[in-house]
Amino acid sequence: MNDFSELEAELKKLRPRGASPELVARVEQSLAEVSGRIATAGVLPKRRNFRVSWLGLGLGLATAAGFLMLARINVDQPGKRQNVVAMTPAPFVAPIQVSDAFMPAGMTQVVYNTRDEGLHFPEGADQPVRRLRSKKRETLQWRNPATGTSLRVSYPSEEVTLIPISGQ
Amino acid sequence: MENVSTHENWKVCFSELAPGLVLFARQFVRQLPDAEDIVQEAFIRFWRKEHSIENRGLLYATVRSVALDLLRRDARRARREAKASLEIEQSTSPQFDFDDGSQQELAAAVDRLPVEQREVLVMKIWNDLTFAEIGQALGISQNTAASRYRYALAALKKNFVTHE
Repeated sequence: MNDFSELEAELKKLRPRGASPELVARVEQSLAEVSGRIATAGVLPKRRNFRVSWLGLGLGLATAAGFLMLARINVDQPGKRQNVVAMTPAPFVAPIQVSDAFMPAGMTQVVYNTRDEGLHFPEGADQPVRRLRSKKRETLQWRNPATGTSLRVSYPSEEVTLIPISGQ
Repeated sequence: MENVSTHENWKVCFSELAPGLVLFARQFVRQLPDAEDIVQEAFIRFWRKEHSIENRGLLYATVRSVALDLLRRDARRARREAKASLEIEQSTSPQFDFDDGSQQELAAAVDRLPVEQREVLVMKIWNDLTFAEIGQALGISQNTAASRYRYALAALKKNFVTHE
């Protein structure tokens, strides 16, 4: 290095040309555009403000996105609720509507036993009667055309039939 | 060099640095307005990121990065500047103020150096950066920076003596 010390001294004598005043003004303007105000080296607060603005922008965008998502959910929910409302009462309302809507669909009588109990002479009658006792099962059926559901009631019954005996 | 936040006015800091920064930028673009554009953009970028002004390696790396970006963006400009770097253009405004003719010849000899030697020389002689800082700015080791510096001085000595 010592070989170059004289050369280094010569080089240092060369003075770089200073920056133009316009450059200083341009930098000042650029900094002002960034931070809104410039001049003193309260530069740190200005820079922090600039950063905070980015942070604020990011948070703002995130919040806006959140609101949009919530708004979408809120828009969707009424529809769903309406559906639920339309469906939820159904189980409660349906029985009433169903009972109203049930129409008689048929009746069956199955006689599974008939017993002849012979001739009887009812009081006040002038001729005898033959008494037949039938045991049977009756089934009544209703159907709701709207829902397709059916209701069936079955019960045992007994019937006594008196048959007049005509004189021969 | 003090941290920019300790100055009462950023202009004081910038005024101290600007001549060296512009000189460094002119190693990439020959025209003074282009160099000032680079310095302006680099200083603003550096300032925005709140880097300490003591981190001169990073500051010069920023200037270099902006200069190279500018050259890449404008292919025509890159070709023109590459051509200009090979030939010393008489129309280009000088980078130095001269006291005498010998200084002008020395400046011309500096201009004839390869750019990788010239940028090391500029940072070392006129900006007082250490080799470590130069290495940081250029993305090379400080030994490589020191080697380039010695090569530059050797070439200058040879050329300057030859021209004398």
